[in-house]
Amino acid sequence: MTALISRVRAKVSGKKLHRLAEAPFLMSALALIGLGVIWASTFHLTGELTQNVSRSTAAVTSDVADTYEAQVVRALREIDQTLKLVRYDAQRQPPDSAIVDLNERDLLPPSLLFSVAVLSAEGEILAAHGRFSLDQPQEHEFFRHALRSNQLTLSRPIETEEGPLLYFARGMTQGQTSNVVALAVHAGYFVSGYDSATLGERGVLGLVGEDNQFRVRRTGDAITVGASLGDVGSKVAEVDTPSLAPLIQHHWDQTERYTVVRKLFDFPLSIVVGLSHAEQLAPARATARDYYWRAALASALLLIIVGVLGRLSWRLHKARRQAMEERIQHARKVEYLAFHDSLTDLPNRAYFSRTLTQSILEARRYTRKFALLFLDLDRFKNINDSLGHDAGDELLQEIAYRLTLSVRDSDVVARLGGDEFVVLLPEVLDSLQVAPVAHKILAACAKPFTLAGQEFRITVSIGITLFPRDGNDEQTLMKNADMAMYHAKEQGKNNFQFYSEALNNDSLERLTLESSLRHALERHEFRLYYQPKRNMKTDQVTGVEALLRWQHPELGMILPMQFIPLAEENGLIVPIGRWVFRTACQQSVEWQAQGMPPMNMAINLSARQFIDEHLLDDIKLALKETGMNPTLLEVEITESMVMRDVEATLKILKELKDMGVRVAIDDFGTGYSSLSTLKQFPVDTIKIDASFIHDLTRSVEDRGLTEAIIAVGRNLSLNVIAEGVETSEQYEFLRGQACDEFQGFYGNEALPAEDFSRLITQITRDASGPPPR
Amino acid sequence: MPRTFAKIIMTGLLSAMGSLSWAEIVVVASQESPVRELTAVQLTDIYLGRLTRLPGGPAVLPLDQVEHSSAHREFYQQYLGRTPAQIRSHWSRLIFTGRGQPPKAVSSDAAMAEALKRNPNAIGYMDSETLPEGLRVIDVES
Repeated sequence: MTALISRVRAKVSGKKLHRLAEAPFLMSALALIGLGVIWASTFHLTGELTQNVSRSTAAVTSDVADTYEAQVVRALREIDQTLKLVRYDAQRQPPDSAIVDLNERDLLPPSLLFSVAVLSAEGEILAAHGRFSLDQPQEHEFFRHALRSNQLTLSRPIETEEGPLLYFARGMTQGQTSNVVALAVHAGYFVSGYDSATLGERGVLGLVGEDNQFRVRRTGDAITVGASLGDVGSKVAEVDTPSLAPLIQHHWDQTERYTVVRKLFDFPLSIVVGLSHAEQLAPARATARDYYWRAALASALLLIIVGVLGRLSWRLHKARRQAMEERIQHARKVEYLAFHDSLTDLPNRAYFSRTLTQSILEARRYTRKFALLFLDLDRFKNINDSLGHDAGDELLQEIAYRLTLSVRDSDVVARLGGDEFVVLLPEVLDSLQVAPVAHKILAACAKPFTLAGQEFRITVSIGITLFPRDGNDEQTLMKNADMAMYHAKEQGKNNFQFYSEALNNDSLERLTLESSLRHALERHEFRLYYQPKRNMKTDQVTGVEALLRWQHPELGMILPMQFIPLAEENGLIVPIGRWVFRTACQQSVEWQAQGMPPMNMAINLSARQFIDEHLLDDIKLALKETGMNPTLLEVEITESMVMRDVEATLKILKELKDMGVRVAIDDFGTGYSSLSTLKQFPVDTIKIDASFIHDLTRSVEDRGLTEAIIAVGRNLSLNVIAEGVETSEQYEFLRGQACDEFQGFYGNEALPAEDFSRLITQITRDASGPPPR
Repeated sequence: MPRTFAKIIMTGLLSAMGSLSWAEIVVVASQESPVRELTAVQLTDIYLGRLTRLPGGPAVLPLDQVEHSSAHREFYQQYLGRTPAQIRSHWSRLIFTGRGQPPKAVSSDAAMAEALKRNPNAIGYMDSETLPEGLRVIDVES
């Protein structure tokens, strides 16, 4: 059982360790790993996303630049083409008719945006298509410059009422006269390809002249002219990744853009294209933010799940641990119950057996001695029967308590069951050491108890064995201690006895006797002897007392005192008693049939018989079967039997009286019955104990007591019989005291049935002759 | 009560004046033109260069008046709901990106009438008071 507990414990602690590794740590690790995965992948994704967007934005910038370049070049070529066409036509006819002619043939650009004019060297408009005016000084300056140049000339943006204009011009020399063909277009025309779908609201589209000044620049819907490009061009030139536009800070609006600055072939212009980094990345950033939110949400969810799981796991763990604790508690309880007596809390027989075995092994190993005290309460059964089991239990508990107090803590006290206790004294040197302990126990138990409100005294009998002297194993030690205890009981109880070989022999004899006693009834070895009772005055035989004898085939005649206690112990007294009643009644009936006068037949009841519940039925049956007159039957019970349980006795005695059976109290004077108690009992006869009669002539005290008993009997109108009258002095004294009857050697000894009938026959014969004495 | 009544009359007068003011510019075409009527959407699409042929019908050629004429300004304002600047910006983008050419512009109602008579597929606009013989007003459903 201890092994079971330790095993359960080991399992618990093992699992505990295992769980420590399992629940909280595993959960935390899981949470960390989960969070790591979530955030790593989120950062990776968003990083990838922004990187992709950056790269694609740079690529888009390049694409837009390609397209824009092509558009600008085409627009410039168309413009140049128009200038050349007008110049050509104007050289062949007057300028105004040339313009009209070209317009009618749809060869001039739409006047909605473009205006074309032929100017004289002095700056007069010779012919114009569309609204062409020369109001600004810069315009005149430009045309003077163009007049001198044979190339396509491009003006700086010039602010007019129409908004900023760009002028293109070519000189025209015809003979001696030099004219200028000019074309004006809104600066915004060159950035009208600005597409919000690709460039957004923060992109840049622009044209820059060789003076590093913007001819026009557009961001969103805002068109500006004339600002400086600054160092943007040189910065772009530093980067040598032509396919991907570099990211450059634009000083004019503090915006970072993927920027392309490209010089145009054939024209003194560069295009500038830029896509805002922040703007283009905005959707990606929104997506990234979305990812972060989702990651945060997933993290929260993960933490919640892990938290819930952790909590559940913790609860489970707690529940399991609790269940385990309960199992241990239960196992402990089971173990305790298995090895302890529930009534007294002392170790029980099983536990003691183990302890004893262990002690034997140790004593053998270290050549030590120990003592075993076997205790049995004297007359415990009576207490249990008369006061009830609860009182008996209480008594046992008190005894257990006293025993424990009487010995040292290192000594073992155990209850073997019933009223049997055992004490183990480990490490004693010899029997001299044990005796004081035994004395102490006897003294402790002898102190009065209060049970069910009554004060009681109880004694114990102790048998003692010593290891290894009185036995080398558990069984022998226990058996011999038991035997020694019985010896102590035989020695008058309330004492202790050491085991000896002789005891063992006695016990063997006892065993033989007991086994043959069991067969005595069926082998018809019992005999009844009849002791005559005589009337003191008339000397008449008034009746007989039936006395039991055992005719043992080997041991010869055995007296009741030798086997009755044995029969009482093993319960054989009941069938034997039944046989006695039947035989005695039968005899009485037979004698009357032989012609003898009806005589009183007294039969002794043992204590055990008296409390047997079938007693009355047995007597009735004997009377019925034999046909004996109940009034002739007298039952003798001892004074101590009567006093044991007054009420029960009273009940039995009344029933006997109802049947017509007489009742005698045997050994009267040895007990302590009070007169008042005696008065309650329906008693017919009291018999003075032989011990008083024996010392009658020598002891004044006994004489006085005898006188008193006779007086009491007379006062209560009881028949008084003296037992064991052996001498004439005794006889004379009793006769003087007016005792009613007597029995004893002075009269007749106990006789077999035939001898008794002979005696009666002789007395009857003598009665017709002279009197005997 | 009389005051409310007066209000109603005033509102009626004002709206009549409003309709009078935009009734000055009309969409016109040659008498031979197969086009009888146009929806406002169709007219807008035609003048913005998105529609060159009516569904199941003939090709349509829009004619414009020069940008600084009042007819131009009023036509675009009333029929297309756009300012001349917006129109210029629109064509500027189309021309620059090479995706279209604006309608050919004439400098007067008379020139418009001439051009329309020459081309039965053309449509144009002018002051209703200067509407000459041989041209027909095209109904524009709003």
